[in-house]
Amino acid sequence: MAQDKPRIILRTAGLANPRALKTYIEHAEGYTAIKKVLGGAMTREQLIEEVKASGLRGRGGAGFPTGLKWTFVPQSDTGPKYLICNNDESEPGTFKDREICTVNPHQVIEGMVLAAFAIRASKGYIYTRWEFQAEIGYLVEAIKEAYAAGFLGKNILGSGFDFDLDHYTGAGAYICGEETGLISSLEGKKGQPKVKPPFPAVSGYLGRPTIVNNTETLANVPWIVNHGAKEFRQYGTEKSPGSKLFSISGALVRPGVYEVPLGYPFERLIQEECGGYLPGRSLQALIPGGASAPLLTPEEVQGLTLDYEAMAARNTMLGSGAIMIIDDRQVLAELLKVTIEFFAHESCGQCTPCREGTGWLNNIMDGVLDGTAKPGNVELMRTVAKHMGGKTICALSDACAMPVTSYVQKFSGSLQAYLAQATAAGGHVK
Amino acid sequence: MSEASKGSQETVTFTLNDREITVPKGTTVMAAARQQDVYIPHFCWHPGLKIAGVCRFCLVKVDNRPKLEIACNLTATPGMKVSSVLPEVKEAHKWALEFHLVNHPLDCPICDQAGECKLQDYYMEVGKYKSEMDRPKVLKPKALEIGSELVLDTERCILCDRCVRFEEEVTKTGALGIFNRGDRAVIGTYPDKKIEHNYQDNLVDICPVGAFTSRDFRFKQRVWFLKEKPAVCPGCSTGCHVDVHAKPQVRTYFRLKPRESEVNGFWMCDKGRKTYKHMNQEQRLRFPLLTEASGVRRRSTVDEALAALAATMLKADKSEVALLVSAAYTCEEYAAFFEFFVRSLGVTNVYQWREPTEDREAFDGLLYRGDHNPNTRGLSEALKAVGLPGEVKDGFEALLRQAPKLVIALGPELAFQFPSLPAQLSRLEQLPFVSLWTIDGAAVSHVGLKHLLPMKGYAEKRGRFLNFAGKVGELADPFPAGSEDARDVVEVVAALSEILAHSL
Amino acid sequence: MSVFDGGLKAEIEGFLKRYETKRSAILPVLHAIQDVHGWIKPEHIEELHTVYGLDRVHVKEVITFYDIYKDKPVRRFQIRYCKNITCHMLGARPAIARIRAHIAALDAVQGEDGAFSLEEFPCLGKCDGAPVMLVNKERVEHATVDKIDQLLTKYAPTVLR
Repeated sequence: MAQDKPRIILRTAGLANPRALKTYIEHAEGYTAIKKVLGGAMTREQLIEEVKASGLRGRGGAGFPTGLKWTFVPQSDTGPKYLICNNDESEPGTFKDREICTVNPHQVIEGMVLAAFAIRASKGYIYTRWEFQAEIGYLVEAIKEAYAAGFLGKNILGSGFDFDLDHYTGAGAYICGEETGLISSLEGKKGQPKVKPPFPAVSGYLGRPTIVNNTETLANVPWIVNHGAKEFRQYGTEKSPGSKLFSISGALVRPGVYEVPLGYPFERLIQEECGGYLPGRSLQALIPGGASAPLLTPEEVQGLTLDYEAMAARNTMLGSGAIMIIDDRQVLAELLKVTIEFFAHESCGQCTPCREGTGWLNNIMDGVLDGTAKPGNVELMRTVAKHMGGKTICALSDACAMPVTSYVQKFSGSLQAYLAQATAAGGHVK
Repeated sequence: MSEASKGSQETVTFTLNDREITVPKGTTVMAAARQQDVYIPHFCWHPGLKIAGVCRFCLVKVDNRPKLEIACNLTATPGMKVSSVLPEVKEAHKWALEFHLVNHPLDCPICDQAGECKLQDYYMEVGKYKSEMDRPKVLKPKALEIGSELVLDTERCILCDRCVRFEEEVTKTGALGIFNRGDRAVIGTYPDKKIEHNYQDNLVDICPVGAFTSRDFRFKQRVWFLKEKPAVCPGCSTGCHVDVHAKPQVRTYFRLKPRESEVNGFWMCDKGRKTYKHMNQEQRLRFPLLTEASGVRRRSTVDEALAALAATMLKADKSEVALLVSAAYTCEEYAAFFEFFVRSLGVTNVYQWREPTEDREAFDGLLYRGDHNPNTRGLSEALKAVGLPGEVKDGFEALLRQAPKLVIALGPELAFQFPSLPAQLSRLEQLPFVSLWTIDGAAVSHVGLKHLLPMKGYAEKRGRFLNFAGKVGELADPFPAGSEDARDVVEVVAALSEILAHSL
Repeated sequence: MSVFDGGLKAEIEGFLKRYETKRSAILPVLHAIQDVHGWIKPEHIEELHTVYGLDRVHVKEVITFYDIYKDKPVRRFQIRYCKNITCHMLGARPAIARIRAHIAALDAVQGEDGAFSLEEFPCLGKCDGAPVMLVNKERVEHATVDKIDQLLTKYAPTVLR
């Protein structure tokens, strides 16, 4: 690896007025990428090729190759197209996109102009969850500054390219982080994901070609344009190039958001960036990629590197890069309940396996906690989870099923013990 | 799209359950299966509505793809291999059913849908008999009066979204929504608002379970005792194809359901749904009534009634006779009637019996027309066939002005579609002798009508109607008449003809 | 007579013109109403329908689907306390219990005028500050049980000691 700690995204961190347009321009090559592309030094096709060559993958959790996704928009369709920034960040454990909005929002905007140019979108939205009130303010301010400076609007930098950007606030629904759920929400409806096909690139917002990209994904694009795919690939691994913002939380001395190259050793992140576990605490289990990621045992964490392949090899996922440390003082049955309850609360309710499955699992888990469940119910959760996977319009059903499966698979003893105690006590254990 | 409009249809050939099928390009596997009478289990798909893809029941195996896919949103491609019967698929169907039953209440003993409920049907077909759900179920509001024709039980609802789509796409009234998320999701109207259109019962038809049930049918009959026969609705000139449901052993009709056809698609209107009550015992004229010369009115046999009518006919000159004909009868009945009375007996005073307040050109945009008769066109054609004008204005008033000595009247079948009928019957009572052939029992209260002959209802005879566009609607498979004395016009005319032949 | 005052009416009309479809404006319009009134009243929905042509069922679906919209009166300070994974691990439960105790004590005295309400909420997206809560639009980090008494009095007087 070239430079150890890449500074691709949070480039204005630590500076005075990090969010200001002036700071972005003076310290982070602000808006030079769009000058390059809109000025003609790079064509639309070259832009797409460069992003494809970089190997940039969606940073929101799905990990789909970004450049490739852009090519799905049919250019023969000359009507309106939309570029949307998915700033809904609701995967439990994830707080990196809000960091980008707090530190360097302009880089997201510049990334959006470039992405819009690539797909020929004339209109864009940043969709942010309602709970990020301060961050929404930062984005709205940055959009204003960008308009005033001529980086947004009609005929940007005299190039003939129009791109209007607006902000849209969500209203408290995790499912709006799913790209077609987000699109439904943007249309003023319940945030219910849409049946595919048709795919959003062909028929999305109001039936028009639409690309939805994660905040962090878009923030990568200006740097790639300025420095090139090859330099991007100096960071990370062959299959997981570039850097990633990891949100890491739990019983740590310094939890937070850290930008490290993909492939970074997990143990190093803990000790160097995070300052180690809190005194007296140790790792009981690891959630490596958000609440939907299967748990890892301490044994499985040995030698773990933070990249897509290492996670896949351990039958879990990198996801949004949300790492949560489950320390030895935690009661796993409680955490499983918290996890299941989240998905049951957030299921949009359209698909029967998800709506009923998440509710059923939640119901069983209540029984585990209050002792009214039968001993066989713990294993039953694994059966229910098995049938919830791969059957629905979106992946929320799988997102609930996967961690449940891993808890029962790897920690069934702990769960059974809890249930037995609760039954004997005729109530909650603690 | 342009290919199709040019007339050249591109087709696709693929394999479904080891059988090769060729369909127009763009057809989904579900639609293709339906055309081929291959049944892929499903809830939320409906051929008359847009695709929802939410029940996740119609899973099929496609080629070697690892994940099963839903057939309703799967466009057939050339060479595709699809199976709805592989063990893997059947296993998926079992759990699809299990999930649908997780919070479903065990209402079968009190639910009208029993016997025609998709959950029950799939339970038997799919064979996951032992549910593993042993926790308390989610409870939701039940027995809500959400429309004049409807009862809604939100707990039974499986959230297939068909009713929401019907409201949006067919009636375009959008009265229904699904509120809340997850397993708290509940179907309903905006609070305190009701569904108020003329197509409510279609919601009962399309609801796969007993969430939407018919208020009219509620708790009346277990469906497995009902027989159904095809007919054509007599409620208006659209002539929707229907199935009439009855329990012939007790001479009782219970309901109608639409039958798919190019005339009415998949739907019918609520007014049409009521066109069974008039054939039931308490509403119909069950036997002939004669008023003697002494003024006493008595029940008679059909033979006596026909003899009395024949006697009266012999005493009248053809210029003193009038025929008053409503447009509720079949082409065959009109042909026999006019052949006898106009051609053979030379009667020329023929009047159409119409509801004076009707707006014949009215149309609600969907199915229901302002001409509340099933065979106006047929009557018109039949009149022209015997050299009479096909359209007679002010029929009823003109007849009264003629003041005929003898009127033979084919009465309207559906009294509820003829608000002026009681007033008109009262005026007919002033005439010397009216022989009213009708199924309407309320005619009895008009004691000045001296001769009442009971008619068969439309579901009890064979014949054809011509709808507003001249399309033929067949009555081909009648129920036995609800009253033994009931006749149709063809039978009465044949009998009269016999009697008169012998007396000449 | 509009149920929306001049400023709010202008905001609503602005949103209705801002997007490609009127329906797309439903979310921001409801936020605007809540920012003034705290919750969405039936008369608001009625006026959105009769004056602006927004379908009642569509609006009601949105209100009941999303966590933020309220269709019943709200308290002055709505606490949304995260009870998700990291917050749970770092002390959400005892803090929530303490807040509940405060609310119970206040409601015993003030009834429906009680200053606070509490909603256990999904992940608020600031897990490095766990446990986290929102008080109306303000994020409060490290809201552990030992700090609750002091944190609440920043907003309104409490009675529990």
